[in-house]
Amino acid sequence: MRKYIDILTRRNTRQGAWGFPLLVFLGICVWLSFNTARFATIENAENLIAQAMPLIIVAIGQMLVVLVGGLDLSVGAVISFTTAILSLDAPTIVLLPVVFVLAALVGLMNGLVVTRCNVHPIIATLAMQYMLLGATRLIRPVSGGEIPQLVLDSVSGEFFGIPFPVFWGIVVVLIAWKLLYRSRYGLHLFAIGGGMASGQTDAAHNFGIAVRRNIVLAYVGSACFATIAGIFLAGRITSGDPNVGLLFELDSITAVALGGTQLSGGVGSLQGTVIGALVLALMSNGMNLVNLSPFVQTVVKGGILLIVVGLQSRKKMGL
Amino acid sequence: MSKIQLQTLVQRVLRIPPSYLVFISLFLILWLTRPQMLNLNILGVFLRQVAPLGILVLGQLLVMRVKSIDLSGGGVILLVNYYISSGMFPGASLPAFIFLAVATGFIVGMFNGWMIAKRRVSAVIVTLAVSIILIGMVQFLSSGSPPGNVPTFLRDIYNTRTGVMPNPVIFWAFLTLIMSLFLSLSVYGRFVTSVGESAEAAHFSGVPVERTVIVAHTMAGVIAGIAGLVQTASIAVGSVRIGLDLPILAVAATILGGVAFGRGEGGVWGPFFGVLSFSLLFVVLTIYGVGEPGKLVVQGVIILLAAVFYGIRSKS
Repeated sequence: MRKYIDILTRRNTRQGAWGFPLLVFLGICVWLSFNTARFATIENAENLIAQAMPLIIVAIGQMLVVLVGGLDLSVGAVISFTTAILSLDAPTIVLLPVVFVLAALVGLMNGLVVTRCNVHPIIATLAMQYMLLGATRLIRPVSGGEIPQLVLDSVSGEFFGIPFPVFWGIVVVLIAWKLLYRSRYGLHLFAIGGGMASGQTDAAHNFGIAVRRNIVLAYVGSACFATIAGIFLAGRITSGDPNVGLLFELDSITAVALGGTQLSGGVGSLQGTVIGALVLALMSNGMNLVNLSPFVQTVVKGGILLIVVGLQSRKKMGL
Repeated sequence: MSKIQLQTLVQRVLRIPPSYLVFISLFLILWLTRPQMLNLNILGVFLRQVAPLGILVLGQLLVMRVKSIDLSGGGVILLVNYYISSGMFPGASLPAFIFLAVATGFIVGMFNGWMIAKRRVSAVIVTLAVSIILIGMVQFLSSGSPPGNVPTFLRDIYNTRTGVMPNPVIFWAFLTLIMSLFLSLSVYGRFVTSVGESAEAAHFSGVPVERTVIVAHTMAGVIAGIAGLVQTASIAVGSVRIGLDLPILAVAATILGGVAFGRGEGGVWGPFFGVLSFSLLFVVLTIYGVGEPGKLVVQGVIILLAAVFYGIRSKS
């Protein structure tokens, strides 16, 4: 029995415990399809995928930062900021690159402040969150504006009966998979995080890994994934909205932690994060189907976050 | 001057919490541009507005000195506001409300402390999660719309003055004085300092590290409850949105006041002046017609600059 529990919780592996959330995911699916009439329909499945997609994308970015023992609280603000920029009156060919360049700059600044100025990641990204929220509200105080047609088309069509959001998911997951498991960079991320988690912060440095540069790149990656999610959301809501990214930072952290990624760094997996995000989206979907008040949904999400993170063990106390 | 003398001078200057410098420069700006604003009556009104923030900061600086953070203040304040304004306890007197606020803060703070010290969960995540749970609860109970009114006696107490100073400001200064004496004179104050310097060294010197952290969080919770009372008295109506940005502002004021994040240094009066600086800052920004978005940006920049200031100093 012990053996199976160990396999399920995957102790002492770099992948983290993603078997358990997978079971939860399947369990909720089975429960919902038996107990609600509308769950097991193609329409609801399409809905669910479109709902889950932004969170999946943001959570993958968040995981990059979490793997090196950081946290990025600015992702929600990056999403809102992206939708606000996209809703400006300018040609599409200009807007899309600008959005990515700005996101890269945000990530670069987060990373540099954390690595060069010795500021705690939470404080650095919190300050960034405030600046971005302010900038977003300067550009677009209330929701409005027009989103480029190209973006609108890319999220709402379908190809041989498969809706476009699925392709977004496939592309993003492939990029992340290549980054994490088929590149030197991914290996370095795990090495840096592993050192951080065991308290030997210069372990990776001693192996000749450019620790600071890789951490900065993790923050850049996180901001870029957040901006992809922002583009996707802009296409879905068809306007710029200063509040669309609200609470995305918490949801993404919950998804990452739910997927078995250790917040102290070094342990985690892509499949776990995707499953974690899917579980969260599925729960929102299910709670909507059984008509639970949105306020109670917030309480439930907060509770899940507390439980999931409470079950992780770490040595460090405090932040 | 020799090089060594110069170095010590530079170090001395760097040790001054940035809040004093910010406060003095903002004061000078006001004095040069709007001297008529600087009379005690007007300043009293401005100070009264930040009294809840000032009280919340006392708890924040305590937990930040033991290398933790408390972002659950927003939820506690909202819950206290709901107790008072929803008519949940009809005919309750002031002591009853004080008891409720303190008890709520105590329970929330104790839970935070237990999760952080015993379960070793990241403080940011615990307190944020607790905050959104409390906010969700209040919004569910009040169905998302503001609850009723606040009993008039609270408002009356809030409006009293001693001399020219409003009593809430005096209450805040009094609490700050108590906290300052408590941290400098009591054994617990020494525990806080040593845990902040190095939890490991403190543990090996026989300091009950976990208990110190739990007590710090419990006290921060109680203080948040008291801040909730003052905040409720100040707006005099029920609300489902008040006080949500107070914890972040409290963190900002504390960093500005020289409580270095992740290191156990800093006093009580630095953050006090940090709050005063924020009060003046909002006045100055309003005078120059900077709107809500601009204020957000300025807050972010201040948090960042203060944190960078300490980060760079501790490295060199």
